Amino acid sequence: MIKKAKPKVKIDKKAALALEVEIAGLELRNPVMTASGTFGYGSEFAPYTDLEKLGAIIVKGLSLKPRHGNPSPRIVETPCGMLNAIGLQNVGVEAFIKNKLLFLRKLKTPVIANIFGETVDDYRELALRLEDAGGVAALEINISCPNVKKGGIAFGTDPVEAHKVVSAVTSAVRLPVITKLSPNVTDIRVMVRAVQDAGTNAITLINTIPGLVVDVEKRRPMLANVIGGLSGPAIRPIAVRMVWEAKSVAKVPLIGSGGIISANDALEFILAWATAVQVGTANFLDPDAAVKVAVGIAGYCKRHNAAVKSLVGGMKARE
Amino acid sequence: MQSSQAAILHNKKVVDDYFRMRLSWSGMEVRPGQFIMLRVSDGLDPLLRRPFGIYNVIGAKKTTGFSFKRPTGVEILYRVVGKGTAILSSKEPGERINVLGPLGNGWVEPEEARNVIMVAGGVGLAPMLPLAQRLKAGALLFGARHKADTKIVAGFSGLGCKIKIATDDGSRGFKGFVTGLLAKEIKPDSVIYACGPAPMLKAVAVIALASGARCFVSLERTMACGIGVCLGCAVKTGAHKAGYEADGFSMVCSDGPVFDSTDIDWDAL
Ligand SMILES: Cc1cc2nc3c(=O)[nH]c(=O)nc-3n(C[C@H](O)[C@H](O)[C@H](O)COP(=O)(O)OP(=O)(O)OC[C@H]3O[C@@H](n4cnc5c(N)ncnc54)[C@H](O)[C@@H]3O)c2cc1C
Ligand SMILES: Cc1cc2nc3c(=O)[nH]c(=O)nc-3n(C[C@H](O)[C@H](O)[C@H](O)COP(=O)(O)O)c2cc1C
Ligand code: FES
Repeated sequence: MIKKAKPKVKIDKKAALALEVEIAGLELRNPVMTASGTFGYGSEFAPYTDLEKLGAIIVKGLSLKPRHGNPSPRIVETPCGMLNAIGLQNVGVEAFIKNKLLFLRKLKTPVIANIFGETVDDYRELALRLEDAGGVAALEINISCPNVKKGGIAFGTDPVEAHKVVSAVTSAVRLPVITKLSPNVTDIRVMVRAVQDAGTNAITLINTIPGLVVDVEKRRPMLANVIGGLSGPAIRPIAVRMVWEAKSVAKVPLIGSGGIISANDALEFILAWATAVQVGTANFLDPDAAVKVAVGIAGYCKRHNAAVKSLVGGMKARE
Repeated sequence: MQSSQAAILHNKKVVDDYFRMRLSWSGMEVRPGQFIMLRVSDGLDPLLRRPFGIYNVIGAKKTTGFSFKRPTGVEILYRVVGKGTAILSSKEPGERINVLGPLGNGWVEPEEARNVIMVAGGVGLAPMLPLAQRLKAGALLFGARHKADTKIVAGFSGLGCKIKIATDDGSRGFKGFVTGLLAKEIKPDSVIYACGPAPMLKAVAVIALASGARCFVSLERTMACGIGVCLGCAVKTGAHKAGYEADGFSMVCSDGPVFDSTDIDWDAL
C-alpha cells in the first residue's frame, strides 16, 4: 500500500503535539525541564541554548534571605558523577523577584521557582511572596534540607515534617506545587504518600544522594563540608528505580531527575512512570544539553510513532 | 561565548609533562587572561570539562586595543597532572574537541605598560603570553622546578619584556622561589599580574601589599560549569569589598579568574 506523503508543516505540528505533557495543571511543550541549581536563573544559558525549546525552567533554590553558602572546596568529580556541597547559596527571594524575574517573565517557557527554608513558616512565606510577585508558573519545594526546629534533621526524611511543610504551602497558595523528594530514606513510598496527602500536585525524584570523597594523601575530606550530594550518570539507575517504586503509590504525576545526559536516559525515566524529566549536571557538560534531550525524545517519538504521554509507564516488567 | 566543536591542529610535547595544543576556533573577541573549558572525552569519565588559560591567540585582526578581535584559533599550554590532562595529551591532530569559551573576566589593562611585572609559577605561565603580547614591555618573572621546565618560557622572547628566571634547584637563574625575584624588582608604582600555585600567589600578594603596588592574581578552583551557575568554584572574598552579588564568596569562573589581590581572603584559600 502506498501512503500519501503529508505536507511537512503538518508533520512538524504533529511531532510537537507528540511531545506535550501536563504536570500539575501546566501544559509543557515537551517533558524536559532544567533541574534546580544547575541552570542558574536561566539567563546565564541564553547565549548557549534556546530557552524557548525547554519544557520548563526551574531556577536555583531560593530562600527568604540571601545565603552565602559553604566554604570551598565545594565540588569534586567522582566516577561518572560529581559531589557538591554548595550550601544552597542564592540571592534570596527579593533579589530574585527584583533582578531575575524580569528576564524570565518574557520567555514563553514556564518558570518554576524552587524554594527551601529552615522552618515550615519560611516555606509558606516564600510561596506567598512568589505567588504575589507573579510570573512564576509553579513552585517546587526542596525538602532535602535541615529543619532547624527539629535539630537539623532534613524535612525530607521525616514523613510528618514533610507533610507539614507541603500542607503549609499548598494551603497558602493557588500555584501548582511540586514536591522534590530526597532519596535519603528507607522507603520512598512513605514519603510519596505523606506529600500526596498534603496536597502536592506533582513529585520530583530524586534529589542528590549524600556521599563522601576522601583525599588519601592529605587524609582529609575533599569537600570543606565533608559530605556532599552526588549527582550525574552515576546515580541514574537508583533514580529510575525510585521513580518506579514511587509509582506504586503515587496518584500525582512524577518528574524524574538524576543523571540524565541523553534522550535515552530521559526515556528510561518516562518508561518507568515519569511524566516529565529534569536535566541537571548535564547542563555543565553542555549548556545545550536539555534542548538536545528534548530533540532526541522527539526523534524517538517519531521512530516509534508514539506521543510522550503514551510512553509514560510503558516499561513492561518481564513475565 | 560559545560551545563548539574545534579541530585540533597540533598537540605537541614542549618538555617533560608540558604540552601545547592548538585549536582551530573562531570567536568574536578574546581578552588576555580569559580561559576555555574543554571536554577531554565524550564519555562519562572524566565527566566534567577541564579549564585552561588561553595561551596564544591565532589569526586575530590587528587592533590597537587590549583584546584580540576575531581570532581563527587558540592555543593552550598545559601540564599533565591527572586523568583528564593525560587524555588530552594523547589527542592527535585532526581530532575534534568541544570548547566552551572564552570565559572569565581576563586581566585588567594597566595604565602604564612599563611598570608591569608578570609573576608566573609553572603552568601559571599560560595566561601571561597574551598579556605580554599586548603590553610589549615590563618584566616577566618565571618560577620553575628546574632548568628543563624553563623551556616553556621561550615563547616570551622578542616580545619586549625583560625575562628573569628562578628555579627550585638553582639549575637556571635565581635559586629559590620566584617571589625572591619579585622582592628585588617591585616598586610602589608597579602593577603585578600573577598566576601560579596558591602559596606563590599568597606570597606575591603579601609583597605587593607591603610595597603599595597594585596586584592582580589569576586563581584556580575545581570547576564544573565555567559560567557562574553551579557555584562550585567559590573563593572567599572580603565582605568589606562592595560589588559582589553575594558578598562573602565570588566565583572564579565568572567573577574571575582575575581578582585584585586585596579582594581575596587569603587565609580561607
Ligand atoms: C581558570 C583556570 C585556568 C587553568 N589554566 C590552566 C592552564 O593554562 N594549563 C594547565 O595545565 N592547567 C590549567 N588549569 C588547571 C587545570 O584545569 C587542571 O590541571 C586540570 O583540570 C586537571 O585535570 P586532570 O583530569 O588532569 O586532573 P585530575 O585527575 O582532576 O586531578 C589530578 C591532580 O591534579 C590536581 N588538580 C585538579 N584540578 C586542579 C586545578 N584546577 N588546579 C591545580 N591542581 C588541580 C588534583 O588535585 C589532583 O592532585 C587551570 C585551572 C583553572 C581553574
Ligand atoms: C551544583 C548543584 C546544585 C544544586 N542545587 C539544588 C538546589 O538549589 N535545589 C534543589 O532542589 N536541587 C539542587 N540540586 C539537585 C539537582 O536539581 C538534581 O536534582 C540532582 O543534581 C540530580 O540530577 P542530575 O544527576 O541530573 O544532576 C543541585 C545539584 C547540583 C549538581
Ligand atoms: S564553575 Fe560553576 S560557578 Fe564556577
